[in-house]
Amino acid sequence: MILFLRVRKMSRDEILKNIFMEDEKPFALQDVKVVEICSENFAAAIAGSLLAEVGAKVTRIEFDDEAKNITPFGVKVEDSGIPYLVETRNKEIIRYEEKVKDLLLSADIVIDGMPPGYLDDLGIGYRQLYELNPRIIYVAVSPFGHFTSKAKEFKNLPDSDLTAQAYNGYPTLIGNPYLTDKHSYPLKAGIWAAWTMAGVNAAVASIIALIERSKSGKGQFIDIATNDALVVINAFPIIIGFLFNKPRGRFGTVDYILYPFGYYRVKDGYIALATPTDADFRSLLKIIKRWDLEPDWRYSLDRISDDLDRIKILDEELNKTLKNFTTEELIRAARRARRIKMLGKLIGRFLGEPVIVKLNTLKDVLEEEHWRTRKAFLALKVDEKEILIPNTPIKMSETPARIIKILNREVKT
Amino acid sequence: MMDYFSFIESIIKNGKKRDEPLKGLKVVEVTHFIFGPNVGRILAQFGAEVVKIETPGEGERFRIGAVFGRFYKKCNLVYGIVNANKYFIAADARNAKAREIIFELVRRADVFIENLRAGLADAMGIGYLQVRKVNPKIIYLSCSGYGQYGPLSKAPSFDVAAQGVSSVALKTGWEDVDEFYKLPDYFGDYLPSMIAVFAVLSALYYREKTGKGQYIDVSQTECLLRFLYDLTYYSLTGEEIGKTGNIDPTASPSGIFKTADGKFVAIAVLTEKQFKALAELIEGLENEDRLKKERIKELNEKVEKWVANHSLEELLEIAKKKGIPISPVLNDVEIFEDPWRWERGSIVKVKDRLIGEVPVPGPFAVMSATPGKIKWIARPVGYHNRLILKKWLGLSDEEIEKLEKEGVIGYWDEMPGMAPPPTWKKEDDPIFKGEKDEPG
Repeated sequence: MILFLRVRKMSRDEILKNIFMEDEKPFALQDVKVVEICSENFAAAIAGSLLAEVGAKVTRIEFDDEAKNITPFGVKVEDSGIPYLVETRNKEIIRYEEKVKDLLLSADIVIDGMPPGYLDDLGIGYRQLYELNPRIIYVAVSPFGHFTSKAKEFKNLPDSDLTAQAYNGYPTLIGNPYLTDKHSYPLKAGIWAAWTMAGVNAAVASIIALIERSKSGKGQFIDIATNDALVVINAFPIIIGFLFNKPRGRFGTVDYILYPFGYYRVKDGYIALATPTDADFRSLLKIIKRWDLEPDWRYSLDRISDDLDRIKILDEELNKTLKNFTTEELIRAARRARRIKMLGKLIGRFLGEPVIVKLNTLKDVLEEEHWRTRKAFLALKVDEKEILIPNTPIKMSETPARIIKILNREVKT
Repeated sequence: MMDYFSFIESIIKNGKKRDEPLKGLKVVEVTHFIFGPNVGRILAQFGAEVVKIETPGEGERFRIGAVFGRFYKKCNLVYGIVNANKYFIAADARNAKAREIIFELVRRADVFIENLRAGLADAMGIGYLQVRKVNPKIIYLSCSGYGQYGPLSKAPSFDVAAQGVSSVALKTGWEDVDEFYKLPDYFGDYLPSMIAVFAVLSALYYREKTGKGQYIDVSQTECLLRFLYDLTYYSLTGEEIGKTGNIDPTASPSGIFKTADGKFVAIAVLTEKQFKALAELIEGLENEDRLKKERIKELNEKVEKWVANHSLEELLEIAKKKGIPISPVLNDVEIFEDPWRWERGSIVKVKDRLIGEVPVPGPFAVMSATPGKIKWIARPVGYHNRLILKKWLGLSDEEIEKLEKEGVIGYWDEMPGMAPPPTWKKEDDPIFKGEKDEPG
């Protein structure tokens, strides 16, 4: 008998959702043992968290309760601060005692977030561990690192995100160059930008060493300095120092590579606007009916300059015009502007489309179906109340990263 | 016993070095701007052979994106650094033969990286489902604004857009000024790219154990949301923290203050121990409820007055003696000239064969036995066509010339960012001719 089955073709979305289903799949690093040993240094804790998200068995060794007290405006869940709650995902937590040396020696990766030399003084630093276990991968995370004359001079300087941002030059770039008095001060980034980058860098380096160890059989020492974690990645201060020998200042909504590239006020709120190419810029001018600006500002090189006053002319025109449109009008018009002419069956001439999105509030984010579909948040039940925690951003088809527990509580997506 | 810092320095500077950790790893990327390209950059820093495929003529669109429009010997250093150590192929994806070549390269790769709009790689015939049929061991990374599935997946994105959609944009600014500022230097691209590298390496580790490849989907917005502790705060209190100026709500006192000699310092007191040390120096600094918003402001006022009576040098002495997080606020030039960064290797000089000696960031992490290397900065569009088509696909000079004549592969337009420096001569360059590999 022949059976005729009508099979509905699955959409790309459905296929991908299936591919990324968590099911009973293994973790990528489930055979890897990590010991994170630190107090208030959250860059080190973030490194441990990422490894824990991909399944490494991470034990956090603490010397005190200081990390628990570091929390926005003192808000705690039971006795844990919010960053502590988020960054202890999938971890076992124990208090420091002398017998932890055995645990450290059996680890594949040790993350040291204590001041440089502190663990060495206790007899459990890289020097001692390596002697007994040459396979150990030891990742040190501190403000100035564990070598150089400056690192030694500032060895007792505690780490913080804000001071690391400052040493990476971030606050000198943020803010409106035309504001005065205190508003002309350097301004910090509103999230833990330096600590986050340093933590991720440490996690990346530790897996590079892990992969290398599988060939050589040997471990090594890795040094991460939070005070240069942003600059070693983004390179901009080095390029500016070399080519201009003059620092950039605060540039508000103006940019130094692409323009427009920033946030603008519109009739009903704020948008982020970017025109990565000249075609996108032309498309924007059509949408906002300002084709008169095209001759003077046609090319991207016309729209970027270290002379802020020159760019201000265009910036003011855009600011003035954009205020006449609502967010929805602009987003809809941008979508309409997207015209990809198909040549054959493939990509064709790109006629430009400005990137326009609404600046969301957290409430907007939580109401967005997209993030629920992608399980971007986790719910954790504490005292009969459900609280939200950011999920891992890493989607892997065969070895999904995931959070099983937080502070010994099971979590659900 | 040797001093600890000297010991660490000795193993970093003089310790025995081993082979590059990612040597032999073949990576292909079809990427543009920063998010995708930075993944290949980091893998190439530690020895992977990374082939970047671009469009003949203008190459990828970021080649033109030079800081304040300034090129160095026709090279855009921003593009050059984010694409350092890579090999450059230019093949026109609108051409069926070019698509075959791209496909052949991808099927030979261990890792493939793309950051096109969701679904575009499928249209080019190099989507995950297509590639895994011929290369099931592939580790295939898709980088995008909002991820590969879900209602927003096809929406356009960029660094500032991801900052806006994630609500991170509303966090930076003065409380009393109705403006928001972006996180600078493309944080919304660079952070997600490092998380993507982490995912690729995890997959690689797993593949070495099991032989299995996989698909990785990294969204820049989700990467920003991952570190938004405000989300948990909101779910607990019903309040959005929003902008807090220079106050770090997790530290008190905290802020950026002006010194007696007109410099700026950042101070963030995180622990009880640090607070006590500061309270010994500033009269009337009370610990009670110090993380409450109004209390942080009160404490900051006292700190502000104290800082105004001290020079930067005095404050840094206090920081290291008393163990209080205090830092100067550096600008671009101070960073570039900082002796610590040069001593550490955070800034190094690279002798690039085409454009000469240029300063670049050193490897992103200092590794004692397998240090990363910056060997060259980006090359012109299509510069390695011959080398890679011979080495990877075994094509002959004649076959490559035929492809050139048919317009399947191509080279640069004579524009800054795309072309070699004016002094470069094709006939003197055996690497361009595919006769030998890049040194190092």
